[in-house]
Amino acid sequence: MKPPPFAYAAAGTLDEAVALLDEAGEDAKLLAGGQSLLPLLAFRLARPSHLIDIGGIEGLDTLEEQDGCLRVGALVRHATLERADLNGGWQALREAASLIGHLPIRVRGTFGGSLAHADPASELGVVAAAFDAEIVLRSVRGVRTMPARDFFLAPLTTAADPDEVLVEARFPTPGTGFRSVFEEFSPRIGDFAYASVAAGCRLATDGSARDVRIALGSVGPTPVRALDAEQALSGSFLDDTAIVECARLAAELCDPDAGDWHADGTYRRALVSHLVERALRRLGGGP
Amino acid sequence: MSAPRGGLIGSPAPRRKNRELLTGEGTYVADIRLEGQVYARVVRSPSAHARLLGVDTSEALRVPGVVAAITADDIDDIRIPIRLPFAESPEANAVLQAPLAADVVRYVGEPVAVVVADDPYVAEDAAELVSVDLEELEPVLDPATSAESSRTLVHESFGSNTIGRLAYRYGDVDAAFAQADVVVRRRLRVHRLAATPMETRGLVADYDSGSGGLTVWGGAKVKHFTRALLSRVLGLELTKVRVIEVEVGGGFGTRGEPYPEDILVALLARRLERPVQWIEDRWEHMVATNHAREQEHDFELAAGADGRMLGFRVRGWCDHGAYVRTQGLLPVVLPMVHLPGPYEWQAFSMDLDAVLTNRTPVGTYRGPGMTEATFVRERMVDILAAELQMDPADLRRRNLIPAESMPFSFMPGPGSGAVMPIMYQGGDFVQAFDQMLDGAGYDRMRVEQQQARADGQHAGVGISAYIEFAAVGPFEEVEVIGGAGNVVVRAGVGSLGQGVETALAQIAAELLDVPLTDVTVEFHDTAEVPQGFGAFASRSTVLAGNAIAAAVDEMRAVAAPLLGCGPDDVEFRGGAATAPGDRSVGLGDIGPTRGRFEKEGLTASFGGAVCSVSVNPADGRARVDRFALAHDVGRAVNPRLLRGQLAGAAAQGIGGALFEEIAYDEHGQPLSVTFADYMMPTAAELPDVEVTIIEHGSGSNPLGIKGGGEAGMVGSLGAVANGVADAVGAGAEVLSSSVSSAHLWHALHRPTGHDPGEE
Repeated sequence: MKPPPFAYAAAGTLDEAVALLDEAGEDAKLLAGGQSLLPLLAFRLARPSHLIDIGGIEGLDTLEEQDGCLRVGALVRHATLERADLNGGWQALREAASLIGHLPIRVRGTFGGSLAHADPASELGVVAAAFDAEIVLRSVRGVRTMPARDFFLAPLTTAADPDEVLVEARFPTPGTGFRSVFEEFSPRIGDFAYASVAAGCRLATDGSARDVRIALGSVGPTPVRALDAEQALSGSFLDDTAIVECARLAAELCDPDAGDWHADGTYRRALVSHLVERALRRLGGGP
Repeated sequence: MSAPRGGLIGSPAPRRKNRELLTGEGTYVADIRLEGQVYARVVRSPSAHARLLGVDTSEALRVPGVVAAITADDIDDIRIPIRLPFAESPEANAVLQAPLAADVVRYVGEPVAVVVADDPYVAEDAAELVSVDLEELEPVLDPATSAESSRTLVHESFGSNTIGRLAYRYGDVDAAFAQADVVVRRRLRVHRLAATPMETRGLVADYDSGSGGLTVWGGAKVKHFTRALLSRVLGLELTKVRVIEVEVGGGFGTRGEPYPEDILVALLARRLERPVQWIEDRWEHMVATNHAREQEHDFELAAGADGRMLGFRVRGWCDHGAYVRTQGLLPVVLPMVHLPGPYEWQAFSMDLDAVLTNRTPVGTYRGPGMTEATFVRERMVDILAAELQMDPADLRRRNLIPAESMPFSFMPGPGSGAVMPIMYQGGDFVQAFDQMLDGAGYDRMRVEQQQARADGQHAGVGISAYIEFAAVGPFEEVEVIGGAGNVVVRAGVGSLGQGVETALAQIAAELLDVPLTDVTVEFHDTAEVPQGFGAFASRSTVLAGNAIAAAVDEMRAVAAPLLGCGPDDVEFRGGAATAPGDRSVGLGDIGPTRGRFEKEGLTASFGGAVCSVSVNPADGRARVDRFALAHDVGRAVNPRLLRGQLAGAAAQGIGGALFEEIAYDEHGQPLSVTFADYMMPTAAELPDVEVTIIEHGSGSNPLGIKGGGEAGMVGSLGAVANGVADAVGAGAEVLSSSVSSAHLWHALHRPTGHDPGEE
C-alpha cells in the first residue's frame, strides 16, 4: 500500500499549474485535497507519471454570488461549503457537502477534486447535474466552459482534456422562492451512497411546483438528470399521487447493472424511489 | 502499621498506559527502527486456485536497493503446526500451510515469494516485478457444496474437501423427536467475518551472528509458542530465541498466532544477518490474516406444545478456508461444544464437518464458535417461540438448566467421536437471565415495541442466551519479586490492549497489601518470563491471577519460619509479611517466589443479550436502538475494564450483524479488502451498550474468576438477528447472521414474500 514512483511538482499559481500540466503530458495528475487520489495511489490503481500539486494556489477557493451565479472555486473545501452562508436555493449544495465522507475528509477534500474525480457516487456531481452548473476549465490553450451534463462521461472519466485544470463551477442563481434538498442512503455515515438524489423546485402562488430539478447519483455511470420525472411534476401540487408518480419515473432511470456486491441495481432502484419521495416531501414542507 | 488495604480486587482502577497510548507515545512494532534494517514485502497469489508453474524473481532482484527475493525453492519444506493438541487430527495435519506456496496456490493472498529491500517503497515496487506463472484451476467457494458435491479438491493429495466430521450424541434423540408436538427445521448461515484489529500484523527480526541469537519483536498472544516454533524451524536452541511483545493495537484472536510471515521474516533475518521489518498493510490483512465464522447448519428442534424443548439434531459445515492453521480444528470444535447452550435438553445429535474452500484460512475471532453456535441455536429458539406463539423470554426461562441441577453435564453417548465433554460447573442461569431482563427493562421494551408498532413502525425485541467456555489451561506460572516500594510480577500472558497488566497488578497489590502503583507487571519478553501460554480464550486474568495468589501463598510459607509462626498466621501489611506480636519481615527479604496455577478443562459462564431493533422496510435498514447484555464473570477484578471489554465486544458483534461481511466473487476474488468495503461500525451506528455484570463465583479457581474479554460478542449476532426477525415478522425470514440493509431489503421484497407494510 505504497504508491508507485511518480514525479512531484507544486504549482504556485494557476499559470504555473497549467504550464506544468502541459509539460508533463497526459499521464500527469493534479493533486488538491488528495482524498480520492491518494488511496488510489496506495492501491496502485492509479499510476500517474507526475503529480502536480495545486493545493497551495491562492484565489482558487472563491465562494461567492456574482453576475447571476454562485461561483464555487476548485479549492473550496467540503467543510467550508457545508457551513457556507448560502441562500435557500442552494441548500442541496450544503447538504451534499455535509454528506461527503467524514469530517477530516471534508476538511481536506476539495470541490474541484470531487467533480474532476467523477465518481458516480459523488454527491457534488449530482448537485452540479441537477442545477446545470457550468464547469470552467483552463489550460495553456485558454479557458472554456461546459455544462455539467456534458462534463461527466463515465465512472472516473470527464470531458476535461489532460492539460486542463478545473478552475470553478458556476451555479446559475435560481428564481426567488426556489428551494433545494439533498437525500442519500449510505449504510454507515460517510460511506459511498448506494443512491442519492438532489432535488429542487419553486412553489408558485397556487402551490404548484415550478422549475423542478431532480438528479440521481450512484445509479449509473454518471450523475443523471431525471427529466421525465421533472416534467411530470412540473405544474403539479406536491401531493402523494404526484410524488409517488415522480419517484416512479425517476427510479426508471436507474441502470439495472449499476450495482455492486453491496447493493445491486434492483435495490438501488428501490432506494431512488424512496429518496425522491423523501426529497419531494421535504420540498413540499414535510420533515 | 496500616490496616490491610483490601478492595483493590473489584475496584475500577484506570487501565495502565492510558495516557501514553492516547497521546501517541506507545511504541508499536512499526515504530521500531534498527541499524541496518531492511524491509520485506510479500508477493501473494492473485488467484484463488491455480497450479504454480513458476515464480521468477530475477527482474525484482535487479532493482537497486533490493537485497533478497526468495521463493519456496529457497526454504526448507516445512508446515506451520497446530498449536493446541486438542485441536489436532491426522487429517488436519495433512493440510497445514507452508510459509510459501510451492506447487499450488489455494487462496488469493497466499504467499508465493518475499522481496527484501533497504526501503519499504522499493520493496513494494520490486515485488510487482516478481512474475508468477499460474495455470488456473476451478475454485471451491461454498462450504456445504465443497463437502457434499464438489468435484474440485482444494488439496488434491488429501482426496477430500472434508477434513473431519465431529459427532456428539447425547440421550435418545429419536425418542425426543417422537414425543414432540412441534418440530421446526431451518438451514441457517453464519457469514464470514474478520476480526480486523486497528493495528495490522507486523514483525521485526534481528539475528546476531556473534551470539547466534534471534530476537523477534511484534510477537503477541502466544510468544512462548512462537519462540519454540522459530527455534525448531531455524535450528536454534530455545534460549537463543527471544520474542518481545511491544504495544499491540488489538488482537481479538487473530493477531499474534504464528503465520507464514513470522517464519519468513525470521529466516530472512538470519540469512541476511540484518534486521528485517515486515508490516502488513490493510489489503494484505484482509486476505492474509485469519478470517472467521463462516458456517452453515441444518437444525431441527423438537418441542412439546407447552414449550418444553426436548431435543435437537444439527448437521453443519464449518469452513476452514484453504489450509488448517495454528488453531487447528477449533473452527469446528468450538461451535460443537457451544451448540447445546444453557438449556436442559433430553437429547441431541450433532454432526459437524470441517470443510476446506479456496479462501483465506479461518481461525478464531473473539467469542469463537460460541458466537456462531449461539446465533444458530437462539435463532431456532425464536423460530420455535413464533411457532408456539410464546414470549421468547418465557420459552427460554422454561428451558434453562435449573440451579439445583448444577453441576451439570451432557456426557457424550455411544456414537460420539473423541469430543470434549460438555460440563457446566455451576451458576444460576434462571436468576442471571432474569437479572439481565430486569437490567434491560424487558417488559418496558415490549410495551415500547407495541407503541412503536401502533405508530406504524417495524419494531422488534431480540434475545439470546448462551454458555461461554473460557479460561483454558493447562497452566500459568508467575514469579513475584518483592522489594521496598516495588513488587514485580512476571507472567507469561499477553497484553493486546485489554488491560490484563492492570488487573494482575490489582490482584498482587491486594494480596500483598501494597499500593497499586508499587506493582509492576512484566510480560513483554520471553527472555525474562521463561514460560507462558498466552492471551486467548479469556484466560489471562484467571490463570495468571490465580498463579499470583499461589506465589503469594508461597511467600507466606517462606516468611513463616523467618517470623517464627505458622504460614496461616502470616499477614501481608503495607509491604511486609507480619506475624502476631508485631514481628515483620519486608517483602524484599523474603526473596522471589513462584506460583503456578494449573487448570483442567474449561470454565463455563452464562450470559445473554437483549436488544431493541427498528427496521425501515423502504430501505432495509435495521437499527439497534438499545443493546443490553449480562455475563457471569464469577468475580469482577476491575469492573471498569470489564465493562469496556464487554461493550467493545458487543459493538464488534453488532457491526458484524449489520454491516461487516467478507465477500468473494464467483472466481474466489475477495471483495472486502478495504474499510470502505469491510464496514466496521462507527460510534454513529451503535447504541450505548448496557452491561449487567453477574458474579456467580466459580469453584474452579481460588479467586473465583471467569473469563470476560470475549463474552460481549457471544450473544450479539443471535440477539440482533432475533430483534430484526421480530421487527419484520412474517415479512421476511431471517436465516443469516448478516442483516445488512441490502440483505434485509431483498429478504423483505422477495416476490413470494408478503408486503411487510400489510401485516
